Amino acid sequence: MRTVRGYAIPATLVAIPLLLALFGPLFASGDTTKDVAFSLDGQHWFGTDFVGRDVWNEVLLGGRSLVLVAAVATICTYLVAVPLGLVAGMTRNRALDEVLMRPLDLLLAVPSMLMLLLLVSIAPQAPWVLIAVVALINLPDVVRISRAAALSLSARPAVEAMRLQGESRIRIGLGYVARSMRRTLAADLGTRFTGATYLVASASFLGVGLSPQASDWAAMVDRNRVGLFVQPWAVVVPALLIVMLAVGVNLTFDRLLRDRQPTFLETP
Amino acid sequence: MTIPRYLAHRALLGVVQVLVVMAGMFFLTEALPGDAAVTIAGDNPDPAMIADLRERLGLNESSWHRLGDWLVAALHGDFGQSLLAPRSVVDIVASAAEPTLLLAGLTLVLLIPLSVGLGVLAAHREGSRLDRLISGTTLGLYSAPEFAMGILIVTVFAVKLGWFPPTAVGTSLTDNPAVLVLPVFVLLLRPICSLSRLVRAGMIDAQQSDYVRHVLRLGLSPARVRFTHSLPNAVAPAAQQLARTVDWLVGGVIVIEAIFVVPGLGTTLAAAVAARDLPVIQGLAVVFATTTVLVNLVADIAARVLAPTAEVGR
Repeated sequence: MRTVRGYAIPATLVAIPLLLALFGPLFASGDTTKDVAFSLDGQHWFGTDFVGRDVWNEVLLGGRSLVLVAAVATICTYLVAVPLGLVAGMTRNRALDEVLMRPLDLLLAVPSMLMLLLLVSIAPQAPWVLIAVVALINLPDVVRISRAAALSLSARPAVEAMRLQGESRIRIGLGYVARSMRRTLAADLGTRFTGATYLVASASFLGVGLSPQASDWAAMVDRNRVGLFVQPWAVVVPALLIVMLAVGVNLTFDRLLRDRQPTFLETP
Repeated sequence: MTIPRYLAHRALLGVVQVLVVMAGMFFLTEALPGDAAVTIAGDNPDPAMIADLRERLGLNESSWHRLGDWLVAALHGDFGQSLLAPRSVVDIVASAAEPTLLLAGLTLVLLIPLSVGLGVLAAHREGSRLDRLISGTTLGLYSAPEFAMGILIVTVFAVKLGWFPPTAVGTSLTDNPAVLVLPVFVLLLRPICSLSRLVRAGMIDAQQSDYVRHVLRLGLSPARVRFTHSLPNAVAPAAQQLARTVDWLVGGVIVIEAIFVVPGLGTTLAAAVAARDLPVIQGLAVVFATTTVLVNLVADIAARVLAPTAEVGR
């Protein structure tokens, strides 16, 4: 009973923005007739936005891009970072380890928002650009974590035994080390996803993310700011949903990890 | 490794980091679509005028050639002229630096005592309702984007309650300190959360360690043990996170300056990126990257001095 109660708040916080983001577009009306800008008459649930579109309709439409871009960027980070970390952690060639890891130190020296602003403004405004840049910014941390995990795992007697039996390195790497790393990496997943959400949303807010015409929660906050005194809903609703998503994901993952102790806390 | 050798090693790495980042930034900004000649030429560009501007601005030289020139000049403190305004980059950066330094400095000054205090308090009352409240809040809020938190806080405290001004428009930060309250509060949120969690975890670890139990048995007062023996060990990992915080502060400052309309480095950067003003972007990139590298250096050294046994800065 205790555990179920413990999940109530985090799960609600995640569920509301996530369901709105994923299924909202199905319920949104294609009717984009424009009304008076920043009006708060009874006709619209949350009033109208800076060009007179219905705020609730925009909220229904605007979450999908944020959640999808952040999720795909997180997946891409892992797809690149885990093999890199696995090779760097398992190799006995010190030089290869250095060649793989040193450039990441340089990446860390550049503030992520600076990198985001520069890289995104160089490339055309498209979702895949944002995905690639966010994945790149999150890369060093995940490579480090996977390297550390692989390093400690490959020192285990089991790995030594497999080597003596003449198993190939690729088999040991994929069959044993990579599989044993799953837990360490899963423990980190929530942080990476909220980190990606943070970057994607901030980019859209600064106007360098997705196309400015697109319906997007972060872009809504930016565009409707000028009417904050007249019509706060157009800003508050999307901002609140973004905060709920970040807070909810963090709290839920923390709960999951604490309930699955100690197996999940197998940190290297 | 002895401390002086470690220092020399880290300082050298720092210099290499800054140089590589400078070169990287140079080529990145080179790759920005369009160039200043097109921007200056305006909406109805005349090809002859653009060619002439390119010649005068030196945009026709090879990239490597310009990188060399730029690096040599930059080491002499000359970052060139803005392409859009008749001012030097150093002048532009210097005049925008004051509000940003004020915001970031004030945040850092408040950040350390607040997060250490909060962490020590939560660790002292481990498991209590207060601890759960602090831990839950700090865990939840640390990855909430500043712009979303900022706009919600502005809505409540500036628009609804009217306690603080919503933007810095029409006033300066130094003349009217009330303007600073909301931006600094929002800037503090994320770093406080991560730092106080680290301090809390470190304090709990240290309080349960063998040597703390030993000095307690020797008869030292619990308060003295807590602050002179446990705290330094708890602060060591936090010192490294503080370096990470600078990365957050740079990002936070860019967003916060946009929300509160502060004419600082962040606003200047956003405007320079939009206008493709390469020299200004490069100058700001160097400032931000050098700050990050320097703070990382100081944090690594501080962590090593505080807890010499810890494995620090690979």
